Amino acid sequence: MQLMKDFVNGLWNENPIFKMVIGICSALAVTTAASNGIAMGMALTFVLTCSSILVSILRNVIPSTVRIPCYIIVVATFTTVVDLFMKAYFPALYEVMGIFIPLIVVNCIVLARAEAFASKVSVARATADALGMGLGYTWAITLISMIRELMGEGTLFGYQVMGESFTPWVSAILPPGAFIVMGILVGLINIINREIAKRTQSH
Amino acid sequence: MNQYARMIIVLVIISMASGAVLALSYEATNPKIQEQARQKLEQSVLVVIPGATLMEEVQKDDMTFYIGLDDEGNKKGIAFKTTGSGFNGPIEIMVGYDPKEGTLLGIEILSMTETPGLGAKIQEEPFKGQFKGKSVEDEFIAKQDVEAISGATISSTAVADAIKTSLAKVVEIYPVGGDF
Repeated sequence: MQLMKDFVNGLWNENPIFKMVIGICSALAVTTAASNGIAMGMALTFVLTCSSILVSILRNVIPSTVRIPCYIIVVATFTTVVDLFMKAYFPALYEVMGIFIPLIVVNCIVLARAEAFASKVSVARATADALGMGLGYTWAITLISMIRELMGEGTLFGYQVMGESFTPWVSAILPPGAFIVMGILVGLINIINREIAKRTQSH
Repeated sequence: MNQYARMIIVLVIISMASGAVLALSYEATNPKIQEQARQKLEQSVLVVIPGATLMEEVQKDDMTFYIGLDDEGNKKGIAFKTTGSGFNGPIEIMVGYDPKEGTLLGIEILSMTETPGLGAKIQEEPFKGQFKGKSVEDEFIAKQDVEAISGATISSTAVADAIKTSLAKVVEIYPVGGDF
């Protein structure tokens, strides 16, 4: 039950992108095509899960004075492993993601979960939390990137979905588009949450 | 245990473990990465020289040329790499050139870090296809004889400029109408 709660937490209640608004540098930068969103989300979920598990295992070994350097080494190692394997086995994907894979090292979600959660709880809970946060990040940036790709290019996952008469709104795939789309989504999610809160109160 | 000693020991052990993991992953992936790079190079050479099925590397005047040969060993054209400075960083381009006619056979973008959805469109056919058949005499000016991508003039200009500059050098080594 507790594990389920930890897992669902990252998906909605404490969604890293829409609720906590952390790790948004990559979320704003790579979300120009839906496929990038999914790939980035998966890469981050892998790094986050592996480092949370390791940080949780080592939580009684690492002295608190040097915990940050230790976490960074752990995160950087997993990120480099992902980077190398992606380069070797998914070169096409690697080319698209470019610099953003190495930048997972400084993604605040990873460090925040290691520091605030994984270093204090059991391995099982840390894993559930990391998977929830990772998937929460993945669906959030996939949604942002789908909207941006649809508006900016009229395609979804590379397939043309808008008719001939559709004029792409190029700004959507430029940096300002990322802020606008994300801002609107955060607003919508706040409205949905308020409605949910109202309903549960009146019942 | 003394807390300072413990701090150092833990950091050293974690760093060493990390180093070992990285060394192993590097060893495991490096041959594959090299192979991917080589395959990509060969593929791009064969793409920019239509009809070529084999390539041969030649060094001339500190430039590397890739000669494209067909099944009978006839020379179909030469390819060379050039680099332009794009909007976000270098753009590596493979250019196919036919010295007999003095025309371009085609281009291929090898690597770039342009804005996805904008500058990154230099990799797409409508843009790169227009270089096919262009003469070494052409101006290669974006928005004039080279169609620029809307919203990505810098990227378009970078590609056109890089080709123009390197062609000038290549023509000296392989003069138009001459043998290669």
